[in-house]
Amino acid sequence: MENKKVSLGDRYAETTVFIITVIALIAGWFYKTSLENSSVPFNMEGISAQAPKGWLQSQPAGDELLRATDRSSSGFNTTYLLRKIPLAADTSAAQVASLLTLSRGQDLLAFRVLDQREVTVYGKTAYEISYVYVESNPDLTHKNIPSVVRGTDYIFVNGSYAVVVSYWADEKNYDLDLGRFHLFLESVSY
Amino acid sequence: MTELQAVHERKHVWRNEFMLIVSLIVFVGVVYALDSALKPVFTASTLLLTGVFLALVPAAIWLVFFYMQDRLEPEPKGYVLGVFALGALFAAAVGVPLVENVFRVSHWIYANTLATILGGILVVGFTQEFLKYAAVRYSIYHSAEFDEATDGVIYATAAGLGYATVLNIQFVVSNGGVDLGTGVIRMAVVALAQASFSGITGYFLGRAKFESEQIWWMPLGITLAATFNGLFNWLRGLVSQTSVSLSGAAANPWPGLALAAIAAFVTTGAVLWLVRRNLATQAGK
Repeated sequence: MENKKVSLGDRYAETTVFIITVIALIAGWFYKTSLENSSVPFNMEGISAQAPKGWLQSQPAGDELLRATDRSSSGFNTTYLLRKIPLAADTSAAQVASLLTLSRGQDLLAFRVLDQREVTVYGKTAYEISYVYVESNPDLTHKNIPSVVRGTDYIFVNGSYAVVVSYWADEKNYDLDLGRFHLFLESVSY
Repeated sequence: MTELQAVHERKHVWRNEFMLIVSLIVFVGVVYALDSALKPVFTASTLLLTGVFLALVPAAIWLVFFYMQDRLEPEPKGYVLGVFALGALFAAAVGVPLVENVFRVSHWIYANTLATILGGILVVGFTQEFLKYAAVRYSIYHSAEFDEATDGVIYATAAGLGYATVLNIQFVVSNGGVDLGTGVIRMAVVALAQASFSGITGYFLGRAKFESEQIWWMPLGITLAATFNGLFNWLRGLVSQTSVSLSGAAANPWPGLALAAIAAFVTTGAVLWLVRRNLATQAGK
């Protein structure tokens, strides 16, 4: 068949198709971001935060006020934890960090502290501990390989209590999900 | 060609198409029966080989099926296979990493119905359809072999089947070879669906080259294909019924799969109708 004169639809197709695809992907990215950043208000015992929408929230137990888990994340499910720990007078954030580290060392498999330091988080002074551990299902018939979990705690001392905000994620997802956690961290007020 | 010859040729083609569909059903039935009877356990390498085999057979059958549609001037087999390979390469090198690692769709696309539809169209649909379009546009499109509007559909379905092959291999490997019986039906449906959606793009591509189409013509084609693609994925997960028993909860994939198969067959029917209408127009000329 003899080719006809190149039509407008053919001549500009490479550019127009590329543009419409880029527009669709940008729109998809904005939609994804808005969905991931959507949240529901949380308020308990004077501590409030914006918890991620659509995540599984457990009932409060002991000093744990909030445990939000992303069931869709691969490997170990990304989890945010909010705790309120009563303190004796003049207890410092570093002392709370030591207690937490000791207790985690007993409870968690292959627990190792990677780093700990005093930091300023959204205008508030906090103590940051970064650590790693292995999450293994206690069921012996469970076939999945244990996950390496990276965690970070932020400890804020406020007079008679400490607020501990924790972030746990599969080693593979830790950096990818960190941005979303910072939104949560920023929303915590006490 | 006399009318008698034309009728004879039409019967011959229909018989071949019928045999291809039957062979696909037999293949799916055999895999289903073997999986139910043997409950195979795989090592990493046998799993990958099984995935490649199970993904390639339905793709090859559909490839022959669509190839046979171009009865006036069949395309060189090497070129068709080349575009198939390019579709697979684009899927493995760009499509899957972009959708899974950059957009991380599995984290948010099932949050609600709107997310499934919008994510399926804007991210999954457009990525896949653009890459299948690119596999044709930047390879065979400017060659002398692309010499009739129908060629757009033939080459685009080949690219779509290449893309589907990579998706299906990924499906088998990520599932660890579990439930291959249902999996092989899903793979046959996904291959047909991917071929038919890119067939839409191919139809627009062929018309863009040989007819006087407007500037919005190709974007419209890609958008339609991406929309069908997104809606297909939504339908596939729409009616997964969950049953709960003492041994635990299990999802029933059959209703979703049946609905997706109907959608894929309807789209394929529409694409084949367009191809035959093109062929009839060309034969008239």
